[in-house]
Amino acid sequence: MPSEQDLSADVVIVGSGVAGSSIANELVRAGISVIVLEAGPRVDRQHFVENFRNLENKPSYQGPFPSVPWALHPPNQITPNDYLHTTGPDAEAYQQVYLRMMGGTTWHWAGCAWRYLPSDFELKTRYGQGRDWALKYDDLEPFYYQAEVMMGVCGPDPAREDLGSPRRQPYPMEALPISYAAQQFRKLISEKTPYRVVHEPQARNTRPYDNRPTCEGHNNCMPICPIGAMYNGSYSVYHAEAAGARFVPNAVVYKIERDSANKRVTAVHYYDPDKGSHRVTGKYFVIAAHCIETAKLLLVSADEQSPDGIANSSGHVGRNMMDHTGVQVTFISGDKALWPGRGPLETNVIDNFRDGSWRNERGAYLVHMVDDNQVDLATALAISKGYVGRELEEQIRYLASHTVRLFSHNEGLADPENRLTLSSTHKDMLGIPHPEVYYKLPEYTVKSCEHTRGLFRELIGLMHGTDEQWTPGYFPQDHPAGSTIMGTDPKDSVVDGFCRTHDHENLFIASSSVFSSVGTGNITLTVAALALRVADTLKKELSHA
Amino acid sequence: MAADRSCSSTRIHLATPNSMRMAQALRMSRRDMLLGAMGLATVAVGANPGLAATVDEDTVAPLFLALSKRLTDRETLNPQISQALYAGIIHAVPERRDQIGKLHALMESGNFSSARALATAAEHADPVFKDVIHEIMTGWYRGVADQKVVVYRSALMFDITSDAIYPKTYAAGGPFYWTKTPPEVAVPTGEPALSPSKFVVEPT
Repeated sequence: MPSEQDLSADVVIVGSGVAGSSIANELVRAGISVIVLEAGPRVDRQHFVENFRNLENKPSYQGPFPSVPWALHPPNQITPNDYLHTTGPDAEAYQQVYLRMMGGTTWHWAGCAWRYLPSDFELKTRYGQGRDWALKYDDLEPFYYQAEVMMGVCGPDPAREDLGSPRRQPYPMEALPISYAAQQFRKLISEKTPYRVVHEPQARNTRPYDNRPTCEGHNNCMPICPIGAMYNGSYSVYHAEAAGARFVPNAVVYKIERDSANKRVTAVHYYDPDKGSHRVTGKYFVIAAHCIETAKLLLVSADEQSPDGIANSSGHVGRNMMDHTGVQVTFISGDKALWPGRGPLETNVIDNFRDGSWRNERGAYLVHMVDDNQVDLATALAISKGYVGRELEEQIRYLASHTVRLFSHNEGLADPENRLTLSSTHKDMLGIPHPEVYYKLPEYTVKSCEHTRGLFRELIGLMHGTDEQWTPGYFPQDHPAGSTIMGTDPKDSVVDGFCRTHDHENLFIASSSVFSSVGTGNITLTVAALALRVADTLKKELSHA
Repeated sequence: MAADRSCSSTRIHLATPNSMRMAQALRMSRRDMLLGAMGLATVAVGANPGLAATVDEDTVAPLFLALSKRLTDRETLNPQISQALYAGIIHAVPERRDQIGKLHALMESGNFSSARALATAAEHADPVFKDVIHEIMTGWYRGVADQKVVVYRSALMFDITSDAIYPKTYAAGGPFYWTKTPPEVAVPTGEPALSPSKFVVEPT
């Protein structure tokens, strides 16, 4: 297929998820021309909703989002995987899933919109572990608020429930009223333990907001909110397009071209699904393609000028892979019926272990009591136990109303040995190698998980739990981070505190790949805040130009 | 409940996939197409000599409905859903047609006053009936046959929990309905009819 005439814009963005689309929206509204290149297709919400309803395996978060051959994403968290190949002693703990399609992976997030704690940015200074970021919490605070307004985040009044991340303004929307199940859990924790259950800040409407409706509690935030009450990246895409940004779907970027001095990026090249190659020029470039794909693209673009990959003079592109590792237990409560699954999926958190002096030796964590509809699981379970007829119906009601699931986000730690490389054995239809990740759980994270198991045992006892079933090993929480790590020293980091690559003055990265530590809260709000800070920098530089 | 709490064969913790890859390897591939009841009613049921050309003409199909009523302890069940479930079950495993006929004959030969009584006798008579009954229960209660969704909202699991909870994506209680107190549920006293089976959760 012949190449079209070169495309050009002031700013060229690779990736249309929450990071890329929100930058596009900010820039285009400031009069800056923007092209966003998205590897995957454009698909509407109702298509995903229909896919979900027809899916036999309802818990499959990737199920409603099949990938296209030119923009593969992991089909599931199974090791070995058809796309993301993980190796090493804890390969299974890094079998992440994500989406390559217009709007990005927030199509199937749960809307949990945590700010990181000030200490998360200073892990090395405060606790002697991991690394510090090249920015402080206060640098990001205004952008956290901007991201909360953009997404529409509801959360508690800090005067009544301080989540530990200082705020200059209240949340854009009042906290979501928690379900009966969460109320009972919160009461138990409050009365019987020294811990507390807090409202989880969520990008979910507690009133009509941004032309989207109030949450109706369909309990399907993952894999797909059926009514758009929960924010996802597609809404920023729509806003940016309405303001004049150009989004190109099915545009798989495979090369980053630089000038002869290797200091400035001059163009990116993408393949269309027929492998026709296209060149897109610009003044600034932002790679916002998810932690895994961003590092992959920088490595794939290696050439004579940069034999180890773009922006990789430090050798740290693809290193320091982090995640929130999960511990999970499911049991049958011996107390009153809770009927989890009425309302949104994740609404409440035990936050006592997000920070403490013990972080000098073990990682932090937070705990979710999952508010997931357990009717289908209860039914399959009761059938497997041999019940039929009337007795089966009794069992389904009992199990569906008494099943409790707890899971945690345990803090990972930057380790250069945990590394993403290009597969030498697998390529996609365009000839682009699949990503491969070596992963060994940091001891810091293992100790954190052990502490979590102790807490879970305590909670099971308090709830008179039976049929206690622990998910074996460790599992990924799909919050990958660190592959283009931030730092002040170009020798051991890829980007600076403004997410600008040390090596190329007009190349920025907007992704969790820049995280220097991973804290405990879900990563998306921090990704969005960093992206909006990139947009702010670009607006300033382009207006001066 | 006391009896099943100690059931060691259940694996409800296997809700993350890495633990389940072996299970997945044993599963049939899934198709993501919804089987509409009307469409299935005219689907050819197989090329075996002696089989009817369509489920509509299949003489075992009405027996499946009668058998389903006994095994669910219900007097009425939706005949269209019955046709679709039957078609899915015999499509996945053609031998099920004959087995369903025999299970129906067993039911007719005795005076079984409950699903439990029939299921217990059936497994005793032939262990394969346990699989047949599992598939019938999975069909009616989960709305799934042949690894496909036949019905979602109309699956009986949602009928029997409709006073407390909605099927995912079909909530109709209005904003914040979830704050209200749901119904209490007594500890069940009934016993299982069949021997327990390994529980397989599919990957996320």
